[in-house]
Amino acid sequence: MNDIDERVNEIISLVLLIDKDEISDELRRKDYEPWDSMAHLILISEIENAFGVTFDDEEVVDIWTVGDLKRVLASKV
Amino acid sequence: MSDDALKKILDSVRETQTYLNLWSAYKKIERLEVTPPEDSSRIVRLAVIGSSTLEPLAACIDIKVRLLGLHVDTFVGGFNTYRQEALNPSSSLYSHNPDVVILAIDAWSLLDQDFLSSFPRMNTEDRETLVDNITNEVLNVAQALEQNSSALVLVNNFLIPVFTPLGIVDSKQVLGLREFFQQANARLIDALRTTDRIHVVDLDAIASDFGKSRLVDWNTFYRGSVSFSADFMPFLADEYVRYVRALKGLSKKCIVLDLDNTLWGGIIGEDGLEGIKLGTTSPGIEYLEFQRTLLSLYNRGIILAVNSKNNFDDAIKVLREHPYQVLREEHFAALRINWQNKAQNMIELAQEINIGLDSMVFIDDNPVERAQVRQALPEVLVVEMPENPRLYRATIERLNVFDVLTLTKEDLARGEMYVGRRKRAELERKAASLEDFLRTLELKVHVQEVSDFNMPRVVQMIGKTNQFNLTTKRYTHAEVQGFRDSEDWVVYSMSVTDRFGDEGIVGVAIIKRDADTWRIDSFLMSCRVIGRSVETAFLAKIINDARSAGAKRVIGEYIPTKKNPPASDFYERHGFVKSKETSDGATEWTLDLEEKMVDVPEWIELTEG
Repeated sequence: MNDIDERVNEIISLVLLIDKDEISDELRRKDYEPWDSMAHLILISEIENAFGVTFDDEEVVDIWTVGDLKRVLASKV
Repeated sequence: MSDDALKKILDSVRETQTYLNLWSAYKKIERLEVTPPEDSSRIVRLAVIGSSTLEPLAACIDIKVRLLGLHVDTFVGGFNTYRQEALNPSSSLYSHNPDVVILAIDAWSLLDQDFLSSFPRMNTEDRETLVDNITNEVLNVAQALEQNSSALVLVNNFLIPVFTPLGIVDSKQVLGLREFFQQANARLIDALRTTDRIHVVDLDAIASDFGKSRLVDWNTFYRGSVSFSADFMPFLADEYVRYVRALKGLSKKCIVLDLDNTLWGGIIGEDGLEGIKLGTTSPGIEYLEFQRTLLSLYNRGIILAVNSKNNFDDAIKVLREHPYQVLREEHFAALRINWQNKAQNMIELAQEINIGLDSMVFIDDNPVERAQVRQALPEVLVVEMPENPRLYRATIERLNVFDVLTLTKEDLARGEMYVGRRKRAELERKAASLEDFLRTLELKVHVQEVSDFNMPRVVQMIGKTNQFNLTTKRYTHAEVQGFRDSEDWVVYSMSVTDRFGDEGIVGVAIIKRDADTWRIDSFLMSCRVIGRSVETAFLAKIINDARSAGAKRVIGEYIPTKKNPPASDFYERHGFVKSKETSDGATEWTLDLEEKMVDVPEWIELTEG
């Protein structure tokens, strides 16, 4: 796992209240109760702040899984 | 189970209180079913309402208050629904029954969308009207909160904007954009100055301190109406915590100071009076100004004491004779200048001053001494001092642990009272017996029903008196007012003077009056006057009033706490008979007025009314 993944997992773990080793790319917003709209807002802004990037509104809406999140981030860093 | 989990979560955030950690802890605790403690004084019912998305800020405050050791129950208002919440007495806000309500209204939410764009061409009259409007909006909501709840209401003031379309000539117009908001803030302060339960939180000053350019994260601002950036929220939360600490009697009362390399540079035993660094130029001025800040705290009621490893004669010479020494011997309530370990000195200072170790702050440049005190006495706040003495002053100025909700006459004169104490102690040492000593003191005790004028001090005492406090019931200003307004209750205050000075109000009693029975709900006295038998005079007056009103008995209660053993035998030694004992150690005591009474000690002159 690279540094970016490590930092992203740490943020996901803290915001979505999940152990780091339970995080998978398939983890889906709709199926995971702690990932509500507030958590989504905070998740995105923490990732933005940590990596100095900005997500477009369309991107934010279209992030449905951890995999989506990592893909969009990878296109920016 | 949940207690362990709670502790683990709080420990994980204690060291690094970033927004992410605070938020995560808040959400984790939300999922635990934490049982509130039985002791209601350890519970804070918090509410945060206002014009934006407030859960992030509320989360930071919630966790930081928990880190004080309190149980928190937090209500977060809806986005811009604060009016309904505040104005409707049956709203969910009020069914939460909050102790503290934070009202965070963004000025821009009260102004038209084109306010900024039209401001440069707006005439003075219109600007004045708008200042009135936004101020009155906030005041109306704050006053509704005061009326509909017994909570302490914390109102954010308005942020003074950095940008103004008028540019550098903003101040050349009457009510330029910045003056517009400054004026509104001045109005808020002015309108709320005399209320005890509404406080204006100086959000603008805190924002300036943090840095206004970093105040907002424009992404979360536009995406989710979150007013403040992730870095600013924990910083702002600290400000609200100050109020909670004061409300819950957790503020510190005493600063214990090392001398060498703390109050002056160098070591008096080696460098001598002329050699230590203390004066009006650097090096030396940084110590002088550190002392001035300490003196400013002393002048508003913080007790100072000395804990130094030194030869007494060397060190006291600086306090007495050094031309630039700001803090003199008479500023210190007690001094320990010796070679024994500093933790032992702390214990002795606490005893001599008669305050709890948990009310003390220890300041020492030496990390080894700090570690020793911290390890031996975890209840003492040991300040992590910077190595650079030029930062001492900023360190103490940023400590923010000494707050009180009202500043009373007693606070301002506390320093002189301790000089009186030391002189009294000398007299006591010389007197042949305790009674002789008391006779020479010329004690005068004045008992009266509490007046509006006395209320702040009385409420303050109810909130913070720990040692001589029979039941340790904490009441808010509103609750005490309720007792005063009720026919069935009476609230007394006692003030004491003697030949060394006026102690001011040092006793409070709250009585429930029934036809036959007077029940002493609360009886408390400042530790300053313990040992002068003034509590006997106070009790005698209450019993006398009960008898005049035709009561047959007076009942008192003693609820033991960690801190109130000094009050444990109070009723017994005044002839009360134990009439009940419960499993938690609380006892009830009865005095039959047909058989017994309590006399005012003959060395006390009791005055009434």
